[in-house]
Amino acid sequence: MAETILTLAAPSRARTTRRRHDWTPDLLIAPALLAMIFVMGFPLLYLGYMSVHRWSLIGFSPPRFIGLANFAALAGDERFLSSLTRTLYFTALGLASNLPAGLGIALLLDQKFPTRNLLRALLILPMVATPAAMGLVWVVMLDPSLGIVRFLFGLIGIQHPPLWLSNPALVVPTLVFVDAWMWTPMVALICMAGLASLPADPFEAARVDGASAWQRFRFITFPLLTPTLVVAAMLRIMDLLKVIDIVYVMTGGGPGHLSETTNLYNYLVAMSYDKIGYGSTVALVLFALVLLCTGVLVRLRRMAAE
Amino acid sequence: MSTTVRPAAPEAVASGSQPRIRRRPWLRRASLRRLGLVLAAWVVVAAFLAPLAWMVLGSFKTTVDFLAYPPVWLFPPTLGNYANVFADNNFPGYMLNSTIVAAGATLLALFLGIPAAYSVARWRRTALGMLLLAARMAPGIAFLIPLFVMFLSLHLVGSYVSLIASHLIFTLPLTVWMMVGFIEAVPLEIEQAARIDGCTVVGVLFRIVAPLTAQGIAATAILAFISSWNNFLFALVLSNEHTKTLPVAVLGYIGYNSIQWGTLMAAATLITLPVLVLALCVQRYIVRGLIAGAVAG
Repeated sequence: MAETILTLAAPSRARTTRRRHDWTPDLLIAPALLAMIFVMGFPLLYLGYMSVHRWSLIGFSPPRFIGLANFAALAGDERFLSSLTRTLYFTALGLASNLPAGLGIALLLDQKFPTRNLLRALLILPMVATPAAMGLVWVVMLDPSLGIVRFLFGLIGIQHPPLWLSNPALVVPTLVFVDAWMWTPMVALICMAGLASLPADPFEAARVDGASAWQRFRFITFPLLTPTLVVAAMLRIMDLLKVIDIVYVMTGGGPGHLSETTNLYNYLVAMSYDKIGYGSTVALVLFALVLLCTGVLVRLRRMAAE
Repeated sequence: MSTTVRPAAPEAVASGSQPRIRRRPWLRRASLRRLGLVLAAWVVVAAFLAPLAWMVLGSFKTTVDFLAYPPVWLFPPTLGNYANVFADNNFPGYMLNSTIVAAGATLLALFLGIPAAYSVARWRRTALGMLLLAARMAPGIAFLIPLFVMFLSLHLVGSYVSLIASHLIFTLPLTVWMMVGFIEAVPLEIEQAARIDGCTVVGVLFRIVAPLTAQGIAATAILAFISSWNNFLFALVLSNEHTKTLPVAVLGYIGYNSIQWGTLMAAATLITLPVLVLALCVQRYIVRGLIAGAVAG
């Protein structure tokens, strides 16, 4: 009994290895671990297995081992390659819009004024609103004939704004805009948390020295906030590379395939075209892409910290 | 810009030393520039809320009002759209599906996740860490393709079981992540005292830790519920006509030949409103939850 309490207080390796192994923590975590292995660990292994097979659910031909043929096919798959560049474009546009806008909003709401907390609370609403439903609401708002967006453009003198969702050049930026509407508040809230934790001393010193507001931002706030921004960027990258919900709902990948992201193409290949094996390959590549991009960012962050 | 108010300390000291009513500093220095900033903050937040407001407004419009151009702001409201939502399309059924799946995925995640979080918080068991990270980074489809094939061979595609089990992919990591933080805040001394009095570990978990983190459990439950309720892709793959959840069902309101505008807005409002209300209750924890990965796209 006494040992257990001591272990509870200070889990020291020496003590636990010398005494009988305490199974309690393992038993507590086991059910969750088993569940995760069942719904995540095993499926991921199975995904790897399927990716080296020609696999179809319709018909009677059993899965056939084809080695790395699926991976080789990716290189010649125009639709896949263009979806990949599109996804990277989507991600770049998303980051370029979310981070500055989020930081700006954070700076604005970092002021002390009445109703500030109310505004902060309300700011969470776009990111929790059901994306599928909000995507449809945006379709209605962007409608070329009766949409509110057309009306707003009319107010500033543009009577015939472009067809947001059917213009090949504008469909991705429009989708990025809707995504930004949902997720810029998250970046803003993360930045606000970062701002609140900054030390006050450098700012006072800068004020005493007569630094302007811009100088204080450029040389104090921004450098101190960089780690926070990297975290926000990392979270956004993970989700931007995987964007699918609003694309599926708002354009279905159209016009043509001009707004088809890799995740959407992946869904279509596996679920609509019944190419389970090839779809698994695409999923693995997409997963690897997310890992790669986050990994690069983590590395950059470490280098910046040194 | 952000820093104009930060060194408020000297003023606080000054007003503290003088026996007068402490005035709010923002009022004292209410310059035009300051007012402008506050106004800008309001405008920005209002812009973010506008689509939600437009959705709710639209849900009370008749088709005629909806098709009016320029848009009408004042109109006799109608409940016809809501009546339509409940009349066609088996909307109540889908709402029930969403509730069953979200409640199931939430309760199961709490049941599995709280003991696991306790283990992580008190004994530093990190085995879950890798899976937690994988859940955040992997695209949902990477789990969905194999799960679909597996559930197909188990004859479970389209069942609540498959939906609830698959939603664990995001509700369980979320629960563990949130609860580790809450449990770490419980003072160790209380637990130790209970252990000395002969309480078992499970007893400590249920009688001490759970009641002391009740608020955290509630917040976690709400976040897990929201993430499951909002999920689109998993239901798209794993549900059938009878187990369809709301995010998938709402697509039915955009048909190929006609869009029932008002009805669509009413349905969107009914889907979104419960989530918005729940989210406002736990708004302090939202960002923490999202970092853990409420989105499995």
